[in-house]
Amino acid sequence: MKVGAIVLTLAAASLAFAEPKFIQLPGKSPIVSIRLVFTTGAAFDPSGKAGAANLTAGLLGGGGTKSLTRKEILDAMYPMATSVSVQTDKEMTVFSGETHIDNLEKFYGIMRDMILNPGWRADDFTRVRDDTLNTLKVSLRGNNDEELGKEELYSLIYTGHPYSHEDLGTVAALTSMTLADLQAFYKRHYTQANLMVGLAGGYPANFPERIKRDFAALPAGSPDRLEAKNLAPPVHNQATIIEKDTRSVAWSLGFPMDVKRGDPDYPALLLAQSWLGQHRLGGRLFERMREQRGLNYGDYAYVEYFPFGMFTLEPPANIARHQQIFQIWVRPVEPPTATFTLRLAMFELNRVIEEGITEKDFQQTRSFLPKYINVLTKSKDAELGYAIDSAFYGIPNYNEYIRTALGQLTLADVNRAIRKHWHADRIQIVSVAKDAAALKASLTSGEPSPIQYNAPKPKDILDEDRIVERWPLKLRPEDVQIVPVSQVFEN
Amino acid sequence: MRSQKLFAITLIAAVTLCLQAFGAGKIFPYPYVQEELPNGLRLITIPTEFPNIVSVFIVVGTGSRNEVEPGKSGFAHLFEHLMFRGTPEFPPDKYQATLRAAGAASNAFTTDDFTAYHTTFSKEDLPRVLSMEADRFQHLSFEPEAFKTETLAVLGEYNKNSANPASKLFETVRATAFENHTYRHTAMGFLADIQAMPNAYDYSRQFFDRYYRPENTTIIVAGDVEAKRVRSLVDERWGTWKRGNFKVRIPAEPPQEGARTAHVDWPSPTLPWISVSFHAPAYSEEGTDGIALDAISRLGFGNTSPLYQKLVITEQKTDVLRAGFSNHVDPELFTVTARVKKQSDVASVQQQILDTLVGFAGTPVDAAKLDTVKHRLRYQVALGLDNSEAVAELAARYVGLRKTPESMNREYENYDRLTPDDLQRAAKKFFTEKNRTIVTLSSEGGSK
Repeated sequence: MKVGAIVLTLAAASLAFAEPKFIQLPGKSPIVSIRLVFTTGAAFDPSGKAGAANLTAGLLGGGGTKSLTRKEILDAMYPMATSVSVQTDKEMTVFSGETHIDNLEKFYGIMRDMILNPGWRADDFTRVRDDTLNTLKVSLRGNNDEELGKEELYSLIYTGHPYSHEDLGTVAALTSMTLADLQAFYKRHYTQANLMVGLAGGYPANFPERIKRDFAALPAGSPDRLEAKNLAPPVHNQATIIEKDTRSVAWSLGFPMDVKRGDPDYPALLLAQSWLGQHRLGGRLFERMREQRGLNYGDYAYVEYFPFGMFTLEPPANIARHQQIFQIWVRPVEPPTATFTLRLAMFELNRVIEEGITEKDFQQTRSFLPKYINVLTKSKDAELGYAIDSAFYGIPNYNEYIRTALGQLTLADVNRAIRKHWHADRIQIVSVAKDAAALKASLTSGEPSPIQYNAPKPKDILDEDRIVERWPLKLRPEDVQIVPVSQVFEN
Repeated sequence: MRSQKLFAITLIAAVTLCLQAFGAGKIFPYPYVQEELPNGLRLITIPTEFPNIVSVFIVVGTGSRNEVEPGKSGFAHLFEHLMFRGTPEFPPDKYQATLRAAGAASNAFTTDDFTAYHTTFSKEDLPRVLSMEADRFQHLSFEPEAFKTETLAVLGEYNKNSANPASKLFETVRATAFENHTYRHTAMGFLADIQAMPNAYDYSRQFFDRYYRPENTTIIVAGDVEAKRVRSLVDERWGTWKRGNFKVRIPAEPPQEGARTAHVDWPSPTLPWISVSFHAPAYSEEGTDGIALDAISRLGFGNTSPLYQKLVITEQKTDVLRAGFSNHVDPELFTVTARVKKQSDVASVQQQILDTLVGFAGTPVDAAKLDTVKHRLRYQVALGLDNSEAVAELAARYVGLRKTPESMNREYENYDRLTPDDLQRAAKKFFTEKNRTIVTLSSEGGSK
């Protein structure tokens, strides 16, 4: 596998960029949403310090401030029913919260101090680090095969790239991480130049100015900037089987993609993805794999990173990135159908690349998307999250951007974009399975993997199965690695 | 500096005004229209201030509680799936195509007591969505082949969750604490029953015939809507739905007469879990026992409780500590759950949980702390109602219990009157040794 050179730079200091950006959606609602987004994250973890960005944010949002202990913060937040959520991705770190206008002053004061005046207490550090280690070692490795496979895929796709390690970090790096490491990360990356302030709801007119004044206490800094070039997928298909004692087999597959919001082919690929794998809304994969064949609980495809999909139908906002991925995500299947299921996913991907989508599918999906985006942004907080992402990508309001772009799109545009950016080989494949050796043998033998159904099936399905059961996976033994689950996220 | 001070003063004035208005009103703040059609179908229309979007929740008063026949657990949830298998007028592909044309987000969920089907979409598509939903609730049609395939999707859902020890812990708590009542199984059902589902096609038709009837169903329409127009749309397509007459007999759970324990050996590495449960009262608009247990769950085990502060924040012996009493039609459980970082601390953590519960029976709580809980709940509800889908879902939770969102207002009025004595009385009544079930879970080979 060859991956091109990646350059991480901090842009030259410029006063013009040193002020926070404000994204405002004022209104009359008594609920005020605040999103403080730093355009930094795991892609800027120092060498050997995987997880520093996430742990820094986790400690700021989950520890005490200079004036309040964690206990005092919880006590203060409790009657207001408020909290500050923290989310760290590769290039964005978000502190978000909603409060009733009654409590804005008190809530904002705590949220502000979390970032401007952190307490840096050793016991908070130990607790937050232990929680993170347990998320890796217990929650991901142990409790959730679907998310385990997806997270490993997200790392493997970016081998050799600043995105290549799990956002939470590695067990080894977290174990040796110190409070001083986090303070160093904070000092360098929590700058005015990296700050985007999102506000929605019935906040006072002078509130933005107040925030700007308060956050002038941060160093001016210069924007963190990621420059990635020549990212290439593997030469052959590559498979990783995570071996663990589990009753079913989960699959995730994908590759890096140089198309993001604002790029010319993004609307076309969004439409293609929606047709192929929109969550729970009758996408092609869902229809052929679950509805027709009953293989599992669901099968999806996305052209953007989508964490926590086990728990939500809609991707979260503020995980904007300069580089994106194409992914197919196959929920756990019964072990005897594992190889057939992978073949079917690859077969469907190959088919859409070779044949494209039809005029009818194009028209239907084009009418669906603009309305569905209204549903995605149904709350003010969600609308604010999308608005911040649009500012990051340099596009207008997302709903308008999509509506306008779809209006100009043709079927030919979509099928051309699919052929240009998607491929049915050179794919990273991740599986979570109990009998890894047998699965590897099945994947690499080239032998058919016929499927038995519990009910009669239509002839077109059975005819298609004859092709799918022999579909070439193009995996040689050297392309398939078996990793014990205890080693995943270890180093 | 001057402007900052002015800002603070303005805010304080605003806070005073808002608090007066905020604390006084009903907890469910939206006026709504509730009607009953001649066939028994209930319709609740809730206009909201959120523009353009409408959310429809259709609540069927049947959950896993209704699964009374042995070997048939999980059927209410199976129906949540089967309802997407189409009708003669709207086969599955046409149904999906119509939803896609409407840009709708559509899904369903099953609880112990009810099943809810929900669709959120742009307001201009309301006639189309109501019409299509009317069709599938009256004319659902699935062949044995499609039925068998869908049962596999249900098994897939079980598989999806099966890697999580918390799912197994929950299953074991239910199966240990209950002997007769259908709450003995979770809404997913027993694995053996899920695996046997493909052979129960005829039973599935019977299940639909029994429960998918207008007198057992409530339609909630929330968002950018007008009640008269919604009523006329519902009359048009739902008025022909025929009443049923099935009455289910849910087996009563006898009082538990002795402490119970169980242990789960988990096949792969995990941190150990503890669950301490007590049989608890059914949902009631009149009594205070249920809300008293809810308050205890918050005061005793919430993130500001002394035990949480000790075990999670200070000593850092557990990374999960939570308690819950959730509203149910019949008596269910009050449960405290903890995930412990070291096996050697399990016994000590368990004892501290028990001591905390005993403490509520021994000493009345501080009234000011109870007021803090009441205050929080009001803000929590207000903050959650930030879109029409959330409004409809909250209404659905109470419709599933008492067929009207008004029940929520009554519950919170009772909450406002709750006293420390109520908490102490409930603790004495329910936190007894003979009413208790403790389930532990650890990696195979861990101490039990």
